[in-house]
Amino acid sequence: MQSFGGAVMALYRGFATTLQFAFQKKPTVQYPSVRKQHAPRFHGLHELRRYADGKERCIGCELCAIACPANAITVIGAENAPDDRRSPGERFAGRYEIDELRCIFCGLCEEACPTDAIVLTPRFEMADYRRGSFIYSKDRLLVPPDAGVGAPPDERPGGIPADLGWVTEQKSTVDIARGYDATYNGAKLKDEHKGLTLQ
Amino acid sequence: MTEAGPPQSVSLTIDGTPVTVPAGTLVVEAAKTVDTDVPVYCYHPKLGPAGLCRICLVEIERLPKLQIACNTPVAEGMVVHTHGQKVEDGRRAVMEFLLLNHPLDCPICDKGGECDLQDFSMAYGQGASRLADAKASKPKALDLGPTIVLDDERCIVCQRCTRFDDIITRERSLVVKDRGQRDVIATASGEPYRSNFSGNVTELCPVGALTSKTYRFKSRPWDNHRTATTCTQCSVGCQLFVDERYGTIARTMSVPSDDAISDGWLCDRGRYNIGFYADARRITAPLLRRGEQYVQIGWDDAVEAWAAGLRDALGAAGPQAVGVLGGGRLLNEEIVLLVALMQELGVTNLDWRAGRQRQATPGRYAGTYAELEAAQLILAVGRPPSQTAPVLDLRIRKAVSQRGARYVTYGGHAAGSFVGVTPLRSADDVENVLSGVERVAVVWDGIDLELGARLASAIDGWVARGVSVTTYLSGEANNARGAEALGMVPRSGGLPFTGMLDAAQNGRLRSLSIFGANPVLHHPLGGASVANALERIPFLVVSELFLTETAQRAHLILPARTGFEKAGHVINLAGDVLPVHQAHAAPPGTLADGDMLVALAAELAAEVPGPEDVLARATAALPAATHGFGDAAYSEGVTASKSDGMAAGKPGGGGLRIAVGSDIFAGGGTIWFDETLAELRPDPAATLSPATAARLDVHIGDRLDLLSSSGDDSLQGLVVRIDAGAPDDVVAVIDGLPEAPANSFADGDNVVLGARRAADALEPALVLP
Repeated sequence: MQSFGGAVMALYRGFATTLQFAFQKKPTVQYPSVRKQHAPRFHGLHELRRYADGKERCIGCELCAIACPANAITVIGAENAPDDRRSPGERFAGRYEIDELRCIFCGLCEEACPTDAIVLTPRFEMADYRRGSFIYSKDRLLVPPDAGVGAPPDERPGGIPADLGWVTEQKSTVDIARGYDATYNGAKLKDEHKGLTLQ
Repeated sequence: MTEAGPPQSVSLTIDGTPVTVPAGTLVVEAAKTVDTDVPVYCYHPKLGPAGLCRICLVEIERLPKLQIACNTPVAEGMVVHTHGQKVEDGRRAVMEFLLLNHPLDCPICDKGGECDLQDFSMAYGQGASRLADAKASKPKALDLGPTIVLDDERCIVCQRCTRFDDIITRERSLVVKDRGQRDVIATASGEPYRSNFSGNVTELCPVGALTSKTYRFKSRPWDNHRTATTCTQCSVGCQLFVDERYGTIARTMSVPSDDAISDGWLCDRGRYNIGFYADARRITAPLLRRGEQYVQIGWDDAVEAWAAGLRDALGAAGPQAVGVLGGGRLLNEEIVLLVALMQELGVTNLDWRAGRQRQATPGRYAGTYAELEAAQLILAVGRPPSQTAPVLDLRIRKAVSQRGARYVTYGGHAAGSFVGVTPLRSADDVENVLSGVERVAVVWDGIDLELGARLASAIDGWVARGVSVTTYLSGEANNARGAEALGMVPRSGGLPFTGMLDAAQNGRLRSLSIFGANPVLHHPLGGASVANALERIPFLVVSELFLTETAQRAHLILPARTGFEKAGHVINLAGDVLPVHQAHAAPPGTLADGDMLVALAAELAAEVPGPEDVLARATAALPAATHGFGDAAYSEGVTASKSDGMAAGKPGGGGLRIAVGSDIFAGGGTIWFDETLAELRPDPAATLSPATAARLDVHIGDRLDLLSSSGDDSLQGLVVRIDAGAPDDVVAVIDGLPEAPANSFADGDNVVLGARRAADALEPALVLP
């Protein structure tokens, strides 16, 4: 049985916590006019990348498709024509499709990829009215040749860059200037690991 | 000899397990009996040991060094360890050498996922290379021939491909050119690698050096949905794996354990002729003729129209006015249904013989493939089995090269068998080669019945002398034997197909249904006269995949299904009842012939046997034949038709005679409508000996027309080829080519030269600037 004084103290502590957060910076924002930054390794929509010379990184090896636990990826290889080389080597992805409704955004495709072609971007807004529009094929996954994407993400300063090309450009939520303090833990991480943000 | 012979069996210990195997067994084979895994690259059970790759190292006690299991015969009391530290160290060292220059392009390699080198790298490789320098850079995607691509960087020089070409096919065109780091698989002549069995080297290759052009980057092994079925291209009946992916057939593979039929090999027709099912020209809806046009109709209407046409014909002129052709390309179940339905309607005009082949049952001495292989003398009469039944020919080559048989041919030309062949000048010569022979195998093409009858009586004589004879009939249609066995032959008083054509000419045939046959291109009466007769039939129904020469004459075209798209059974030339499984979803709108017949029977309210009954009849063992070659019980009607051009013409005086040969890539159906195989299809060519060419003043590359003595001019624009081995005064052409159909010409017919254009009078293909 708790004493009366103990109950008052508990009330006081509870309200004090509430009051303390009332004067702190709010983690909620007025989405979509205000957007938050993601964790550095957030797994969002996929993107197929290119080498600096404009050639596709993807060689159509289907390792992502076999690594995918949700069976969301379909790749059908094709042979490079001698006068129209799409990728280094002999093979490229004739068809590359990801069913984003089926995808669980685990990132195993990214890990399986021998050429760092498929990466997961921080973009997450994929809402649409039709199921069919969630099947992303090469026309939406592949960055445009002039996007200037060269090195793989691990080799870039600051992790996943903003120059992720057409897909990201279309509906980007990445605000480099604000860094990755979108969540409470993200803000703490930012404090603890300085230099992690892109600033 | 005082010494006892070698013991029949040897006892040894492998990985602690005592085993007893026949003397002379290799350690690698003995190890299979204890279910241990000895890695091999160069060794293959059908190619024998070569001792090239050294990966199969095993430890044998009391021998100081590791031994290669593939080239070490077992010995009494031998103690073998296939695993252990010493063995694995040895294999790791071998792997390091094999991988020195092997590129790390597994992700783009077609073999990736089913590659022995990949698997053994996982088991014995050391993960990183100690080679400080760059790997050797060699040509990739080298064009080895029309079917094969060579990646020289990946080759580990196990020589399985060259040994296959040497030991199995005897063609000896592939060699290892140059030595050391510069060695490369190539043809000795430098010509493209052309062989009817070239696809087998891609399966033999333990790495991704030799890959198929048709399968290039189409799929990965783990994507493929595999179905075991029977090849329906020819009458050999090879077992086949069909690998399907996303509704397309990615490739076909041989069944290595299929020793009884294919011996584990496939011909290129069976392996690569898989593109036709998806051809854009495929008919996928019933088509009804309206004047010069076809309109697309539904299946209900099509079956109704078919039934109405049959009823009209039956009502107007009785069952004698109705005929059915086909069966050689149908499944047993479909033939049973067809025969039962026609019996129900009282129709007796049934025939499967749409081409030159007259007979499909090899008679009372029918043999198995194993008996063919064990024969001491193999006699091929008529067209060479190398072009009519390629994998059967591979077994002949095996019998000759590995078991010492003698191969004798009569009547055919261009045997193309690559083993020692003795062509017989006259039929009497066969008695000379028979002396001292106990086991004879006779392969006949089933075309010339007169020749077959002579052969049959000769065989009876040999059997009476105590010679063991087996007979084989390598014909044109894949299920001809099934069609014959299941009753797709003229029934009591019925007309054979030639008789039906006669009746059609006279207006007595009111309706003809053709199933999977193209007599306009293949029937020996000739395209013009067959087409002429077909056009006089008031109601012609053709069940086909494509708009063939015959289908173009039809009033109703029914879209059929391919052998990949239906299930049932076929009977091969050795009499085995073999299952055909559906490996691929059929395009919507098509129906299997059996389903069409069930629908037709329902529309006609005719009684047909139920599914169990059909299956029981379709899979029943073949009854023992009582007849021999050339005297099948139903052949009388055909003999009469010989007068209209079937009989082989007698050699002419000093004129030019024609030799009509066959080619496994010739035909107007699946091969003609397969765009991926354009390079393999033979050109319409006229092959002459140098002396004949000089006499006629024609040169290589000229185009010439050939006219038959009766003025048939279907052979036009033949490209002249000169072959030093060709007989004089003979012009050899290929049968079954839609560009230049030779079906009205019989072997030995006199021909005259028609118009000719010299090579320099042709349109220039290239003009120098």
